[in-house]
Amino acid sequence: MMLKNNKKILIFFVLICLQFCIITSPDWLKINGITPCWPVILLLPFSLKNSPLKSAITSVLLGIFIDSFTIGDVSYIPSLLLLSIAWSTYGLHNKKIELFLNIGLIAILGTVFVGFSIWAQKIFLYSDLRNNWFHSWSIFVLISEVIITGLVAPFFSSWLLLTYKKN
Amino acid sequence: MIKARREMGFHSLLKGRFWVIFLFGALLFGIRWSKGAGYLDLYSVLLKPILPGTAQREWIKEGDNVEKNIRLKLLEDDNSRLRRALSLKDFNTYQRISAAVISRSSRNWWQQLEINKGAKDGVLKGQTVIGPGGLIGLIDSVTPMTARVRLLTDPGHQVGVWIDRTQHHGILTGMGTNRPKLIFLNKNSLAKIGDAVTTSPASTLLPPNLTIGIVKFVNEKALPSPYAIVQLTASPEAIDWVQVLKNDAKK
Repeated sequence: MMLKNNKKILIFFVLICLQFCIITSPDWLKINGITPCWPVILLLPFSLKNSPLKSAITSVLLGIFIDSFTIGDVSYIPSLLLLSIAWSTYGLHNKKIELFLNIGLIAILGTVFVGFSIWAQKIFLYSDLRNNWFHSWSIFVLISEVIITGLVAPFFSSWLLLTYKKN
Repeated sequence: MIKARREMGFHSLLKGRFWVIFLFGALLFGIRWSKGAGYLDLYSVLLKPILPGTAQREWIKEGDNVEKNIRLKLLEDDNSRLRRALSLKDFNTYQRISAAVISRSSRNWWQQLEINKGAKDGVLKGQTVIGPGGLIGLIDSVTPMTARVRLLTDPGHQVGVWIDRTQHHGILTGMGTNRPKLIFLNKNSLAKIGDAVTTSPASTLLPPNLTIGIVKFVNEKALPSPYAIVQLTASPEAIDWVQVLKNDAKK
């Protein structure tokens, strides 16, 4: 019975609650107008619990889903793919992964990687953005995103990881 | 005896008309010295009830607004007629779709708005979106019920603009910050701080003469071309309602 309830909560959380947060981007979950890096929060617990192949496929699917909510040619897929492989390889060897701060730290590093990937893609695609105005703004966004993801991930991701493990 | 006489003299002074004359004299001196200020103040206080009050001021303002609106309408019609004569693209200001902002991401890696009007209401990709203050972005994608607006501030977003005072074209490029960068096409931009930036009057992609912003900083020495930083007149962060202009609409 408990197992069934956990599964229901998991489905509700992943399929409805987090997607609702991605689409509506509520103001109370923002720092300087910047939302947490939701793909990292969603992918992290799944990758830590599953094999690299499974995680890689999930990351590509998640990337396609998240990219559909953004504009332009820049994509989440490359960074999420690399992160999912790294996390799943790390997760399979580590037994104390569900530690509260450990999850937060991994999420922060993941957000930094995703942020750098978007930054690099934008510079590569738009030559007009190769200037200090854009770089300083990117650093601002990156820091804000890291802070808010670092605050949110320990709650969301560690809870999701524990629920995955119970299932 | 001398003391009694003195007392008598002083007494008569107090009782006599001396004080009346003295006060009258002082009053006259005061009026002369203040150039009749008291009289004027009193006059204004008495006149106050019959002077034009707030209601009259409102009527005058309303009349002035009506007059300005009529003149604006006449000028717009005149402008439209002349544009047709010159075979320039006409822009119908009456064909607008009002929409509410349902989701906002104006500071993230992607700067966009989601609005609650879509293909069902006649919104098409590439249409112009304005808010109070001027242009805020263009429609990037459309669903039957919603549309996604790419803001002018989105990194890499480019639109052609025009500075009316210098009559020079430029490309407004979003940098992520609140203030996009205006890259001039000429070597010498002649732009100054405070110049108004609008869409080009000869534009075929965007409606002509739409207000975009004001020049805040100019770098004439930049290579390969000079640039300016523009403060947008419409703030996407504070706008809850927008209007989509039907660019292809016919009058």
